Amino acid sequence: MMSWIAFTVIAGVILTAALQVVQSEDLVRTVFWLALTLIGTASLFVHLDAEFLAAVQVLLYTGGVITLMLFGIMLTRRGAGVRIEHGSKDKPKALACGIALFGAIVYSIYSDKQTANAQISDMAGTEELGQLVLGDLVLPFELLSLLLLAAMVGAIALARKVDP
Amino acid sequence: MSFENPWVHGIVLGMIIANVALGITGYSIWFERKFAGRMQNRPGPTEVGPWGLLQPIADVLKLLQKEDIVPRSADKALFNLAPPLTVFAVIGTMAVLPVAPGWIIADLEIGVLFALAMASLLVFPVWMAGWASNNKYALLGGMRSAAQSISYEIPLLLSATVPIILADSFRIGDIVEAQLGGNLFAFWPPGPGALAFILFFLCSLAESNRIPFDIPEAESELVAGVTTEYTGMKFGLFYLAEYLHTLIISAMAAAMFLGGCDGPGANDGFIWMLIKTLVLFISIFWIRWSYMRFRSDQLMAICWKLFLPLGLFLVMASALWVHWT
Repeated sequence: MMSWIAFTVIAGVILTAALQVVQSEDLVRTVFWLALTLIGTASLFVHLDAEFLAAVQVLLYTGGVITLMLFGIMLTRRGAGVRIEHGSKDKPKALACGIALFGAIVYSIYSDKQTANAQISDMAGTEELGQLVLGDLVLPFELLSLLLLAAMVGAIALARKVDP
Repeated sequence: MSFENPWVHGIVLGMIIANVALGITGYSIWFERKFAGRMQNRPGPTEVGPWGLLQPIADVLKLLQKEDIVPRSADKALFNLAPPLTVFAVIGTMAVLPVAPGWIIADLEIGVLFALAMASLLVFPVWMAGWASNNKYALLGGMRSAAQSISYEIPLLLSATVPIILADSFRIGDIVEAQLGGNLFAFWPPGPGALAFILFFLCSLAESNRIPFDIPEAESELVAGVTTEYTGMKFGLFYLAEYLHTLIISAMAAAMFLGGCDGPGANDGFIWMLIKTLVLFISIFWIRWSYMRFRSDQLMAICWKLFLPLGLFLVMASALWVHWT
């Protein structure tokens, strides 16, 4: 019962916030609604006993990516006190696409027996996840970090105006 | 419903711990004023009650009576939302704080990570306040605060990794347990533990915008940073959040590096946790009234050229220690 109430509240928050992300016309508010959406998703992960995923979600997406978005807004804004407006056009088409995507995701989950019958207790805890990432999958994991490093160096090289 | 029920446990313990922390925070402001006064050879508050002990209550009453001003060109909703959110993000961290053996609201499997994630959320309300005020000083303050927080978060996470590696667990309960019997991580293993403790403490100071890392509210340049446009209790909430954050980082450092509730002759352990926390807490005031703030460029140089390599080195050193012993 408690679990059901918690799920309903979290789902409500996520849906409201996500709707506001596309509906809001003020860019800054959009970013804050997106942050709320991500925090809601993290709560959903906690609800499903995936605590590690939740903490990483908050730490990286909310604490990192959203903050960088705010920086982006700050650094590109012209003049003080100007509201940055943005709108979404052609809402019926967007709605149709959204419903189609939702249908595709639901179908792909239920058409596969393994995902359709998955239980929370089957999921790996933090320890198993750590063993997997730093054990069996250590090479792809390190390659990914190398890729990110290369991207970062590239970004700095591109953003730099003159060679020292 | 019994105390074992997680909902009852969480709500009752949460109420007690949050209120005790708020009480300590209120009196810490009195203490800081006394302490700063004595350091500067003046008496500090003396008028309200014996030794000025009723001063915090008088301060709160004064703040409550002040007019609540919302600037005309401010974004009203965000402007009003920011102060309570700041306090919310800080109080959330308390969920994983081990106050005494068995006295922890939720001993999560990922306790340390949860605390750091909650602390990283603090960037938002501060930035929100800076933006919504529609004042250039507030905005610059919010901007500096966000830049500083996300930079210092990296060495903070790295230094927090050291006790995690040594205790072989993310759970704060396990980290405290691994230090039982005087085996404090700040002293043993020699080297990485002590440096990680200092690094953790300094980065936490930077996260909570305390001197010497307080350029987000540098009075001489930014008036009062993000709090410039706030009046009355809304300003009070920012102040409260700052002090509460300072108290919580002291408690986190005490639990993660100084053994938390463990100490000689401890029956319930709470008293040791309190002593360790308060010693760190007071040393923050001590630092505040002894040092000047860093310049922006010094701030960034310290973070990226000193703290980050040191953090990486400490993580590697502690991993090697665990590997070879």
